[in-house]
Amino acid sequence: MKNNLRVLRAIANISQADLAEKIGVSRQTINAMESGKYVPSTLLALKLARFFDKNVADVFELEAND
Amino acid sequence: MKKEFLFQNRFKKIGWILFVPSIILGILYRFSETKLKDDLEEFFTVKVFSLINDGWFSTSKYFGMVNECIIDEILLILIIFGGFMVAFSKTKIEDELVSKIRYESLVWATFFNFTIIIFATCFLFGQSYLDVMTANIFSLLFFYIIRFHFMLYKLKKSTKDEE
Repeated sequence: MKNNLRVLRAIANISQADLAEKIGVSRQTINAMESGKYVPSTLLALKLARFFDKNVADVFELEAND
Repeated sequence: MKKEFLFQNRFKKIGWILFVPSIILGILYRFSETKLKDDLEEFFTVKVFSLINDGWFSTSKYFGMVNECIIDEILLILIIFGGFMVAFSKTKIEDELVSKIRYESLVWATFFNFTIIIFATCFLFGQSYLDVMTANIFSLLFFYIIRFHFMLYKLKKSTKDEE
């Protein structure tokens, strides 16, 4: 699964740490998602989408091998 | 929300304080052959209640008082209590990634632990096998703690220089 969290975060001009605190996870989790090492739960995906005021499908995207 | 079977974060520190010294003392106690050990054993030999006491060199006794050195019992209980608190206390930010690492570490530790049992069963006999079996009372917990904290450390390190 791909995501454009890093881009959205840059647009919103917010650091990993600040985003993590607002969403209620650790900075490591944000980082792991951005680098594609961790696929978040639906709950966390919804929270992130809500934070950026987007649909989940605008933030996360399936890849061919998913 | 879903129920979590974890202690509060502050128990982690208490856990470390119990776990590490009691493991070190346990190893020292098992392998030392000093006068101090004999004295301690004498000091800690007390009358305790036993449900079953079927020693190899004595007749079996049920529901009676027995003279027993309780050093190993105390250490083992401290190791288990401490280990449980270290293993199953929340991290500072217990989020879903940490839960995933917990789960993976537990599976890994279980595989590793039983691999060791099989190895020991095949190749170790006598006292050495008994030692492995004794360690096995808490080794699953031990391997889990090592693996879990190693993975957390790796995660922290991999994200340290990025922002």
